[in-house]
Amino acid sequence: MTRHSLSMLLRNEQGVLARVVVLFSSRGVDVERLSLRPAGELFRLDVEVALLPGRSLAQLVEQLRRLVDVREIRHVDEELELGA
Amino acid sequence: MDTTGAGALIRALEDVGCEVIFGMPGGAILPAYDPLLDSVKIRHVLVRHEQGAGHAAQGYAQATGRVGVCMATSGPGATNLVTPLADAYMDSVPIVAVTGQVARSVIGTDAFQEADIRSITLPITKHSFQVTDPADIPAVIAEAFAIAASGRPGPVLVDLPKDVQSAPATYVPAPPATRGRPAVSPVQVRKAAQLIATSHRPVFYVGGGVIRSGAAQALFRLATRTGIPVVTTLMARGAFPDSHPQHLGMPGMHGTVPAVAALQRADLLIALGTRFDDRVTGSLPHFAPSAAVVHADIDPAEISKNRRADVPIVGDCQDVIAALNAVVSRTPDLTSWWDYLNGLRSTYPIGYDWPADGALAPQYVIERLSTLAGPEAIYTSGVGQHQMWAAQYVKYERPASFINSGGLGTMGFAVPAAMGAQVGAPDRTVWAIDGDGCFQMTNQELATCAIEGIPIKVAIINNGNLGMVRQWQTLFYGGRYSNTRLNTHNRVPDFVKLADALGCAGLRCSEKSEVDGVITEAMAVRDRPVVVDFVVGQDAQVWPMVAAGTGNDEIMAARGIRPLFDEEAE
Ligand SMILES: Cc1ncc(C[n+]2csc(CCOP(=O)(O)OP(=O)(O)O)c2C)c(N)n1
Ligand SMILES: [Mg+2]
Repeated sequence: MTRHSLSMLLRNEQGVLARVVVLFSSRGVDVERLSLRPAGELFRLDVEVALLPGRSLAQLVEQLRRLVDVREIRHVDEELELGA
Repeated sequence: MDTTGAGALIRALEDVGCEVIFGMPGGAILPAYDPLLDSVKIRHVLVRHEQGAGHAAQGYAQATGRVGVCMATSGPGATNLVTPLADAYMDSVPIVAVTGQVARSVIGTDAFQEADIRSITLPITKHSFQVTDPADIPAVIAEAFAIAASGRPGPVLVDLPKDVQSAPATYVPAPPATRGRPAVSPVQVRKAAQLIATSHRPVFYVGGGVIRSGAAQALFRLATRTGIPVVTTLMARGAFPDSHPQHLGMPGMHGTVPAVAALQRADLLIALGTRFDDRVTGSLPHFAPSAAVVHADIDPAEISKNRRADVPIVGDCQDVIAALNAVVSRTPDLTSWWDYLNGLRSTYPIGYDWPADGALAPQYVIERLSTLAGPEAIYTSGVGQHQMWAAQYVKYERPASFINSGGLGTMGFAVPAAMGAQVGAPDRTVWAIDGDGCFQMTNQELATCAIEGIPIKVAIINNGNLGMVRQWQTLFYGGRYSNTRLNTHNRVPDFVKLADALGCAGLRCSEKSEVDGVITEAMAVRDRPVVVDFVVGQDAQVWPMVAAGTGNDEIMAARGIRPLFDEEAE
């Protein structure tokens, strides 16, 4: 398992948190900490996740990006910045 | 207020170009069915099961390249759409499902026929909406269609509480929703072109994305200009003509020996709109061990998911292939590569033995069907042996002529998908190549076809068994046939009588000498659907085969014959 923290901006649409959380559970991603708070017109979601061995964070980020209500994945931890 | 939410729904659907809805009414969607009765632009096809509505929408979408639409009531109507939504999600098929929902005031109270369909379908929809204000309906429908069709296509659910449908509303057309298309990186395209120019054993590994993006013509140009071999996956059959000498056939678990060998021995895979599915790659560490990979896909999440790409290219296949066509100039000398592949092609052509007991060979039936119905027909299939034979023995010459359930592998797909395809392409002959097991899951839609004047043709490859499962039992469970016998050879059900009861013509064939005659007879029936019960041997197997979990080098051309493995040992 590798741990990462992600922070994203979500559109304020009904069900958006469920969609993100279901993506985690469908893809075998463990959520270790999660917080959601308003950020202007949007919502900011900060989450710490643990990935199965061999699964890449970059791929998870792309899977999150394809959710229609995910506006931005603003900050991710250094391991992603390095492309790990 | 000139209308209701329901009225706005129907007008919004008309405005986005919806011409047909496959569906079934019920309490929570009743308001929408009222203005539907007056629509002159939208045809409604009343299905016999909502699963059929969903697969029909998929068949329509794939035959036409447009968004397919299905509609169902709340609760059980909506849950019956779960399988087609999952299927469309896996195979990237653009459909919009409109479901009724209980009134807003009782949502969350376990009201009659309440099911939280949005939550149920979260992991199998590209996106979903629940409309809470009738004024939002036009924009939601426009957006739902745009999301379904753009980028990597997929299913979108629109859930409409009953009171929102009944509420007074003013119809204000929504501006057309458009979604951008990623720009293809010229740098990446140039890198790909460089790899192509310096490769010795390149191969185009073509997936369903080429068909979805309408890039088959561009691919033809690129392939013929470069002389590089082409393989087409199950979802891409028809993306490149089977008759073309550069085409090596389908790769994967039941692929041809030359197609599998091309991937295994390649030094460059040019993967276009494909996702390195396990049915193609076999054991990943053993897949294409010496190949560099160029991977082009509209969905960045697919690139490097299963196999690391040396040159990732994010983009619509049409754009990527056009860009490659513009820069690829030098093409490598492929003489020795072609010598090798042609050698395999002549030593291991796709082929079959006739059953020893004199029964009809299923592969022969499909071969004759292909010859007599021709490449202008549309073929659909269920899931199992007959599906693999339909992929192997029908000669596809054009994109979207083979519509099947690849990613999810949904038994029962063939008949309703054929119904949808026939509605979308009324001038084409549509043949559903179905299994005796699959057919029993969704044949009730033949009643729909008979009544609605949708003259599909069904070839049941009746091997008396859940044949594909039985094949695995033969090969991997010591021939212990646990629960795979259907008794359809004992005529339970009698498919000819069943066809008759459903308002179709029913024919039967169990002799080689009768096959052409029966197909011709079926082709002549134009006023109603036709079902042909082809009674075939129960022991025919699908070959070649890469056993699940093994490396592609272990491909068996037939039981015990492993050409690539033996080549290695030499
Ligand atoms: C809905 C569903 N249930 C079960 C399966 C597992 N399965 C895969 S192929 C198959 C047998 C299909 O039998 P039939 O339609 O007769 O086709 P055949 O393999 O005999 O050609 C089964 C049960 C499936 N793919 N889909
Ligand atoms: Mg069967």
